[in-house]
Amino acid sequence: MSAFAAILRKDLRLELRSGESTIAMVALSILILVVVVFALSQAGARGTEAAAGALWIALLFSGMVGATRALGAERENGCIAGLLIAPVDRATLYLAKLAAALVFMAVAEIAAVILMVLFFNLSFDSGLLRMVPILALGLLGFAALAIMLAAIAGHTRLGDLTLPMLAVPIYVPALIAGVKASAVLLGGAPFGAAWTWIRILIAFDVIYTVAGYLLFEHVMAEQA
Amino acid sequence: MTQPALAAHGVAMTFGVVPVLRNVEFELWPGSLVAISGVNGSGKSTLVKIFAGLLRPTSGSVAVFGTSQARRRVGLVSHQSFLYPRLTAAENLEFYATLYGLGDPRERAMRWLARIGLEGFADYRVRTISRGNEQRLALARALIGDPDLVIMDEPFTALDADGVSLAKDLIKASLARGAAVLITAHGTDALAGLDFELYDLRAGRLERRRVERIAG
Repeated sequence: MSAFAAILRKDLRLELRSGESTIAMVALSILILVVVVFALSQAGARGTEAAAGALWIALLFSGMVGATRALGAERENGCIAGLLIAPVDRATLYLAKLAAALVFMAVAEIAAVILMVLFFNLSFDSGLLRMVPILALGLLGFAALAIMLAAIAGHTRLGDLTLPMLAVPIYVPALIAGVKASAVLLGGAPFGAAWTWIRILIAFDVIYTVAGYLLFEHVMAEQA
Repeated sequence: MTQPALAAHGVAMTFGVVPVLRNVEFELWPGSLVAISGVNGSGKSTLVKIFAGLLRPTSGSVAVFGTSQARRRVGLVSHQSFLYPRLTAAENLEFYATLYGLGDPRERAMRWLARIGLEGFADYRVRTISRGNEQRLALARALIGDPDLVIMDEPFTALDADGVSLAKDLIKASLARGAAVLITAHGTDALAGLDFELYDLRAGRLERRRVERIAG
């Protein structure tokens, strides 16, 4: 088994045993969707754009929980040092952490999509299926960014509190693109109608996945 | 023998404006045991982290077998066990054996559990076992890949008499296969029965004291 597979399997096994990340992420997604749906019902504005906005806000904040936990488990008993002295290159470590965070976030996202459909009176149709690549791109971009920033945040004085301050402003372009693309598809338009926004998501994913892959070595240099 | 297992030249470390280590010159050769003693706060753990590659010194250089990229050859026992509390003893060792690219990691994990007397705890999660047994497991984690350089920061912590005896047996076995071993300790009593060079770390300076063998 490769180091990548070993780290990913270990993270999934830890999550299956504790459920900490997934439960917290799903709970946060529910809370955000409930708050937004009640706020918008008062204003009488529960259209597809509102649904898409609520979904992506849930993705953003629950994703931060997932990214924080993906590295937080390594801080127990100083396990991060055990990883850093092992003959595993930092890029592999980054990719394994990214994969683990993506799995946790995907579980929370599936729950959030189901709730969005129910709360906003949408239907389970092909529009939802067409959103899958957009949500996947959004998750990948956010996970790629958040894992790197969580590693930085972990050794600042404010610790994990630093993550939202760093991640949200950087993620804004992808967030806007994701909301716009999702709203277009939920409104019944063809996939091509969202292409402009999808390209922004792809560009964001490429930039931050490559940046994380290349910079993780330096970010993790003195984590122990 | 062409190069030391560990060579440090002019190593200094400063946290903020506080100097912790000053101009450390040190060499450790394969097959030899060195003990570094010092009081609390003398910088032993900082020095260990630098030697293991976990901290970059403010100045100076550290080479392991002539390179700065020899992680596969280093085994580290630290104050923290580096063990995942929610994984079992066997899963932890199997995980590290996989990271070190060892063949049949499960079998190797079970063999090491037997070697440290914890075969009966294979399926116990680490958070449920005693501190002493966790330390035994930490020794196995560090040594599972048969490292050529073994660095141990106060390895006898939390161990009972049998545990100390086991740790010394593991050290002797490492020396016998040609590994270099570095140990930090408050004192040298626990090293009874071992031949070692002794260094003192005082006010950030590392000074060689003597070669000794304490009857044990």
